[in-house]
Amino acid sequence: MGAVYGIVVREFVRFARQRGRALSSIARPFIWLIFAGAGFATVFTGGDELDYRRYMAPGLLGMVVMFGSLLASLSTVTDRDAGVLRMLLVAPIRRSTITLGKALGATGLGTAQALVVGVILLPAVRLWPGGAGLLLALAALAVSSLALGALGLVLAATMRSIENFAGVMNFVVFPMLFLSGALYPVRRLGPALRALVYLNPLAYGVDLLKHALLAEWMGAGYGGELPVLLDFAALAAFAAAGLAVAARLLAREGGVARAAFRERG
Amino acid sequence: MTAAAIAARGLGKDFGSIRALDALDLEVREGEFFGFLGPNGAGKTTTVHILATLLAPSRGAASVAGYDIVREDLQVRRGIGLVFQETTLDRDLTVAENLRFAARLWSIPGRAAASRIEYLLRQFALLERRGDPVRTLSGGMRRALDIARGILHEPRVLFLDEPTAGLDPRARRGLWEVVSGLRQSLGLTVFLTTHYVEEAEPCDRVAVLDRGRLVALGPPAELKREAAVSSLEGVFLARTGHPLAEAGAS
Repeated sequence: MGAVYGIVVREFVRFARQRGRALSSIARPFIWLIFAGAGFATVFTGGDELDYRRYMAPGLLGMVVMFGSLLASLSTVTDRDAGVLRMLLVAPIRRSTITLGKALGATGLGTAQALVVGVILLPAVRLWPGGAGLLLALAALAVSSLALGALGLVLAATMRSIENFAGVMNFVVFPMLFLSGALYPVRRLGPALRALVYLNPLAYGVDLLKHALLAEWMGAGYGGELPVLLDFAALAAFAAAGLAVAARLLAREGGVARAAFRERG
Repeated sequence: MTAAAIAARGLGKDFGSIRALDALDLEVREGEFFGFLGPNGAGKTTTVHILATLLAPSRGAASVAGYDIVREDLQVRRGIGLVFQETTLDRDLTVAENLRFAARLWSIPGRAAASRIEYLLRQFALLERRGDPVRTLSGGMRRALDIARGILHEPRVLFLDEPTAGLDPRARRGLWEVVSGLRQSLGLTVFLTTHYVEEAEPCDRVAVLDRGRLVALGPPAELKREAAVSSLEGVFLARTGHPLAEAGAS
């Protein structure tokens, strides 16, 4: 357990050192709130009750979690380049312990960033969900962070270098964001896209956050759409599957440079 | 008769159709300073990574620090220190943070870790730099910190994989002083890989490796006498028919 703690502490220390990363993760949702919010608000028909910026709040928190935990997990790629991953691999701990440490680090970072954003965002859009709602939101943030962090570890294990990051943004991050219900209700999408929504861990996280924060507007069709327990179960399944796959991929990692021998052949 | 710190029998590794290591038989004694000499691509690093449980062998068996490298990999990793060719420090963390991070990975309890870190920082002349990020250190200092971290948990066997790569002569001398000090004070077994003959010269025994095969094994003086040459370079040439410096792929 000391090892898991050590890995988590390192993630937090590194994050604290990277001012730019911390600032942009806090600023990003507000940029969306201001610019995307202004545009979408003009076509959004939430009635007098629910203005678009308020509707957006759970989705923005989901977005913070996604960026926060995915980026934390993707740091495994830079760990590999810098050699730090080797140090982890030569320590007397299991590969699954390394995976768990990295995933919990991502969970902590993703949740913490969402909390900081939430403290500013919710009052800003005048959303007062009450104690039970806040507790549910906190649980939703933590479980979503874990699921997305685990997914990020799988991605990191399959990426050769951080230069593939643009590809991750295009083919993972943006589709995940748009098919999560963060920006518009997904229930009106066609069957093909809807099927993709159900394969998207962020969709379950955002759904939970809507349960937590938009309960008042559930009757009007803007709250959570799936049962709360189903959301939790889906996120837990994504987390477990992601951790298992990531640990397996990491076990193949130890390698001396195979490439060195390809040249010799 | 002393116990073997490292014992390998028929150890081999293939990468696809390439035989990186053929069938290595080797025994390194407790407390020995053992050199593993060969050109780049001879299979030295592959051997170290197999012995350190980072890479599974394709055939054969080995034990390190008394444990089987396949079945008891955690115990093996607990008993060894490994200094890689390239540094594995976190450049954004400070000197002390890097050591504290390692102490947690090796489950060294807080108080014991603090005094051990203090001791090592003093030993390696890094005490004044403890609060500085590693990226501000010179190459020689980083290497010293790599080694300090390698012995933080007081391993029985220390693997040094081409430890002087990229160091200037002064830093190299400093490194060898540190290593010989460690051997004298702790009786540490040191397994050194190198492609420099002068670094293999002070070893108790040297194994000469070429293209995945062991071509000579013994104390440097004996190897030179047998081959009737004056240097380990000559031993390599006599045993393989080609010079050490040109044998490598890179």
